[in-house]
Amino acid sequence: MVHKITLTVNGYKRTVEVKDNELLLDVLRDKLKIKGLKAACWRGECGLCTVLLNGKLVKSCLVLAVEVDGSEIVTVEGLSRDGELTELQKAFIEHGALQCGFCTPAFVLASHQLLLENPNPTDEEIKEKLSGILCRCGTYYEIIEAIKSASNFYRKKQR
Amino acid sequence: MSFGSPYFTLPDFTYHKPRTLRDALELLEKYGDDAKILAGGVGLIAFMKERLVSPSHVIDVKEIPELKRLEYRKGEGLIIGATITFSELESHQVVREKYRALYQAVKLASDSIIRNRATLVGNVCEAIPWVDGPPPLIAYGAEVEIRSLDRVRRVPVADFIKGPVEIDLEPREIVTSIHVPEVPDEAKSGFVKFNIGSEFALVNLAAYLSLNGKKKDVRLVYGAISPKPVRALEAEKILLAEGDMRTLITSAALKASEELEVISDVLASEDFRRHLIKVLTVKLLTELIGGG
Repeated sequence: MVHKITLTVNGYKRTVEVKDNELLLDVLRDKLKIKGLKAACWRGECGLCTVLLNGKLVKSCLVLAVEVDGSEIVTVEGLSRDGELTELQKAFIEHGALQCGFCTPAFVLASHQLLLENPNPTDEEIKEKLSGILCRCGTYYEIIEAIKSASNFYRKKQR
Repeated sequence: MSFGSPYFTLPDFTYHKPRTLRDALELLEKYGDDAKILAGGVGLIAFMKERLVSPSHVIDVKEIPELKRLEYRKGEGLIIGATITFSELESHQVVREKYRALYQAVKLASDSIIRNRATLVGNVCEAIPWVDGPPPLIAYGAEVEIRSLDRVRRVPVADFIKGPVEIDLEPREIVTSIHVPEVPDEAKSGFVKFNIGSEFALVNLAAYLSLNGKKKDVRLVYGAISPKPVRALEAEKILLAEGDMRTLITSAALKASEELEVISDVLASEDFRRHLIKVLTVKLLTELIGGG
């Protein structure tokens, strides 16, 4: 069966036709052409397809598109405003928190959410919260440094 | 979940999203064997990709109000609905303060992104030997509530899980909730596991101890060591005796590492698991009652 579903993706209402067995991951990437989330393991291990679904981080390879009709989705593309990188994104660059860059959108999105919830995280809290995302290049140390340096901006935002 | 190389697509099925429990039960009555319940999906969708299950009908129960309950009633205990996620349990105050073994287990399970979707009931229904949900539930003596169109029944989690991926549930039935009994204020409980990162545990352990009340009660439940979680009954007896607590803990840990049947697999040998049982038992019991 074909279902017509409506999603709010990065602030824009998008209507798309999906089959019962289509994954949210594939619908976002192939039908809505949102390429920030990556498809890698397809089974919930690597976390590179992570999106914000109604304000919660989820791995979109384990979600059916038809399940989330009417939901709000944010991907890494939804973080920056007017083409300018966010402070967190700049911090990733400054700290060299990437090599190949394939995992970077997921890490940026997840650390953005982490800092919104906890703008003063310890190393342990960062490691725990991000343990569901894998970086094959091994830039974890730099990622933690980038998050800590950007945390200042999230603390300011809260005041 | 590494059962083999993954497929990137799901088999064909019809998706249903009932709004009431009755509608869901009627769908189950109709499609029975050929249907699967979908809640968080972290298990079902992964299994479907691996073609371990290929149901023709998938019944999404996330919009059913009765299944969204997470309530604590003093004197009665905790009711956890079928769609309650690990994250919701983790941020529940009573779970955090009173049901420490459950709290520590849900906080350590998988990774924080998976926990936003994964449900405790789903975790129990999968009945995979190495998951973290069942041991604390068994330690508290929790029961699952099961419904079909004409019947409601309750089964202890310890009996509900019959073996690997084998549960006491008919195709026309659904688990609606888990009931965790009230625990006395003086009781202590905790959970510990040995694993690497977000990988599955090689051994996990939930302990429940009520040593100062009228009736002494000790339960030690081990997961990941055998086809289903098991209690170390002889070790529990040792802890019920009088004596120096440290000595009792040491002999209980030794007894637990000897009395249980332990599997050997590609992840860990039997000897290593027995060693872990001993070490984890000492660690957890010392944290809980070592000072006394």
